[in-house]
Amino acid sequence: ATLAPKGTSFHQILLSMGEKWRQAPGGGVLLTVYPDGVMGGEADVVRRMRVGQIQAGMLSAVGLSEIDPSILAIQNMPMVFRSLEEVEFVAEKLRPQFEKRFADKGFVPLFWGDAGWVRFFSKSPVERPADLQKLKQFCWAGDTRQADIMKAGGYRPVLLETSDILPGLQTGLIEAVAMPPFFALAAQVDTQARHMLALNWAPIFGATVMAKKTWDAIPAATQQSMLQAARESGEQMKTKNRAEADQSVTAMQKRGLVTHAVTPQLETEWRKATEEYYPKIRGSLVPADLFDEVLKLLREHRAARQK
Amino acid sequence: MNLRGVENAALAVALALMVALPMAEAALRAAVGTGISGASALLQHLTLVVGMLGGAVAAREDRLLSLSTAQLFLKGTLKSAARIFGYGVGAGISAVLCWGAVVFVGTERGAGNILAYGVPVWVVQGVLPLGFGAVAVRLVWHGGEGWRGRALTLAVAVALVAVGVRPPLEASRLVTPALVLVVAATALGAPVFVTLGGAAAILFWGEGLPVASIPLDHYRQVVNPSIPTVPLFTLAGYLLAEGGASRRLIRVFQELVGWFRGGPAIVTALVCAFFTSFTGGSGVTILALGGLLMPILLASRYSERNALGLLTGAGSLGLLFPPCLPLILYAIIAKVPMKDMFLGGIAPGILLVLLTAWWGIRQSPPAAAGEGAVFRWQEARQALWEAKWELLLPVVAFAGLFGGFATLVEAAALTALYAFVVEAIIHRDLKLPDLGRVMTECGLLIGGVLLILGVALGFTNYLIDAQIPARAVDWATASIHSPWVFLLLLNALLLIVGCLMDVFSAIVVVAPLVIPIGTAFGVDPVHLGIIFLANLELGYLTPPVGMNLFLASYRFGKPMPEVARAAVPMMLVLLVGVLLITYLPALTTTLPRWVGK
Ligand code: NA
Ligand code: NA
Repeated sequence: ATLAPKGTSFHQILLSMGEKWRQAPGGGVLLTVYPDGVMGGEADVVRRMRVGQIQAGMLSAVGLSEIDPSILAIQNMPMVFRSLEEVEFVAEKLRPQFEKRFADKGFVPLFWGDAGWVRFFSKSPVERPADLQKLKQFCWAGDTRQADIMKAGGYRPVLLETSDILPGLQTGLIEAVAMPPFFALAAQVDTQARHMLALNWAPIFGATVMAKKTWDAIPAATQQSMLQAARESGEQMKTKNRAEADQSVTAMQKRGLVTHAVTPQLETEWRKATEEYYPKIRGSLVPADLFDEVLKLLREHRAARQK
Repeated sequence: MNLRGVENAALAVALALMVALPMAEAALRAAVGTGISGASALLQHLTLVVGMLGGAVAAREDRLLSLSTAQLFLKGTLKSAARIFGYGVGAGISAVLCWGAVVFVGTERGAGNILAYGVPVWVVQGVLPLGFGAVAVRLVWHGGEGWRGRALTLAVAVALVAVGVRPPLEASRLVTPALVLVVAATALGAPVFVTLGGAAAILFWGEGLPVASIPLDHYRQVVNPSIPTVPLFTLAGYLLAEGGASRRLIRVFQELVGWFRGGPAIVTALVCAFFTSFTGGSGVTILALGGLLMPILLASRYSERNALGLLTGAGSLGLLFPPCLPLILYAIIAKVPMKDMFLGGIAPGILLVLLTAWWGIRQSPPAAAGEGAVFRWQEARQALWEAKWELLLPVVAFAGLFGGFATLVEAAALTALYAFVVEAIIHRDLKLPDLGRVMTECGLLIGGVLLILGVALGFTNYLIDAQIPARAVDWATASIHSPWVFLLLLNALLLIVGCLMDVFSAIVVVAPLVIPIGTAFGVDPVHLGIIFLANLELGYLTPPVGMNLFLASYRFGKPMPEVARAAVPMMLVLLVGVLLITYLPALTTTLPRWVGK
């Protein structure tokens, strides 16, 4: 199951992966894909996997953190990553750790990937942190710790349900929301919040996971070729996703979205402002050991590249 | 205090908390920026508690919504046998759902997620198996009046579960007979939720899929963040209906429009629309207002048959006015913005009220009691003044929402609180014992409705698991080529659905099938929703499953066939309205677009 809309490249790639699975040695595996979030939100997909109604799901860190919070070390770290290449590097390094934690909880990750960046959408132009601090900003009601951290950063979180985002923007209950362009387009957020800041705030990161019980019942040879097909699909998705994020922005611009570019100076200003409340994120939103490890990996990676 | 008292008190307290929590949240947010930690999750799980507790109380009182006609027609041994069978199957299905809920809660316990303040989610989810279990036990209890009847009911339930656990044949070959069994049980008296819950359980079972998926969907449906509006607006409606509001509002409308030809009919249409918009498609309107309006119509020398028809039909007017429950529910299922649904329903709703009033005027006796009466300014002003607080209610309900300082759930809580203040403190029509009774009644009704909504989503999920909506879209787009033909077929389909299903199940089960097809044909989603609900409004008046027919029959003590015949003209009037709504999209879409600008 996936929240990805039908007909998108997400959906098509999963279908072609299913075709490869069917032809895998040892009898193959039949994959039925449920797109459009018809199986419910990400937490619902995880629940269904636990009771055994469905066996696999493509989830973002929101759903994956229902299984194990370690994954938030990538998605909940704003202004830490400077490029998707850095995200990929860190994710690859942490993968064995993630996979072990997930296996302990009864889930097997098949492939990992990012879906571009979370961006700020707002009713009035936002260029620097001070602009955003003036606005009432959406914060998901299920995540009270996030709200505390936003407040620590000088922002004004309004705790609402995702279903309240669009009406909230309409009535002025909220004035800004952070979300990936892909979803902003689908939810028509841009019709109410006409400004987007092209800041690489935080990556959207996820994985396709399978229930361990199902996985263990599959013969080893079949597993191997399934993993092979899954990894290939993961690679395809990564390139497609990034292209689709850009296409979403273009589509919204045609409807009247104004995008604000970020100069290196502005980026530094955002980074400084955000780093001030890292101590609040460390140990609450992100496990402390993982937080430190991500920063350490990035330091090493950047140093190695400069040589 | 006995169990009964404890249950009633817990239900009333949970409902009161549902009002208090969003109010505190909104107030704190305005005062200090952020509200109560975890308020939203707590409120959603309070709804779950109210729902399951209300369902258990409804079962205790033998008042789970059942749309069977058999219990009215049958006599003697046949009647007892039908009851034992219907209730036995109902109890068996409830037991299966209880077991599924145990499995579901077990997996949730293993996951170890925290709701708020250190309380694990699974502890609250525990009300699912408890609720289904209580319903099962109570269905057995009400299966017969004596121990013999109860023992037989229990035997039916046990046999059903035994076949489920150890099927004598291959499970897949038993699916069809089992489904027939459940439908028969429904016809003979099993509650409505048993039909869909049972069908879902059987279908999942037949394919070797976990039955725990149904309680999972039940949970998902009931803790939907918009669902708390359902109990809150219903509570507001109940407080008004049981307080003196009905009397005061009828007087206002009578003084304003009651004095000219057909006036009493117009009063009926207006008052019914007002109350239905708050109490939803629950039939409270007929029960609460029927007794007040019937004498007024008869005194104006309307024939008994016309009066009965008018009251039965008008009982579903207002279904399209905000904040009516089916509107909310459709918006949730279709993922349409609630505000657009609310605005979209206004003009079509007015159209239906006008058509009803028009029919009422035409039916008014030649020398009606209104004749010679004149508009009395003094009395009108006095009536308006007396009812000023109730007349302000819609303003209170929507000012917060459209003014940008409250969410819909908070606006609903404010409405309930306002209704409480008006009826219990300002007018003092409701004393403390009344309040307890009203809240239990309201909780019972909500419990019954949420039980249906929850298992209906479980059934829908089976359809999705079997990829039926996707296939329906492929079929429809391949064989229908014009959106107008699609709309005509949709009208026909929904008329049949309205004949066979109650409005809540219809929304949860049928809307997910229809919406993707509508989207494929480019029908505006709000327009599609209003067509859907207007069609179902007709379903309230059509046998064999017509909730208003039932309620009117019960309230006025008339046999069902007589009520059904009396309602035919009103049905035709509403049919004209439905067709106008369907083929004049602008009627629906103009207001949301204009406000959306
Ligand atoms: Na009907
Ligand atoms: Na009906």
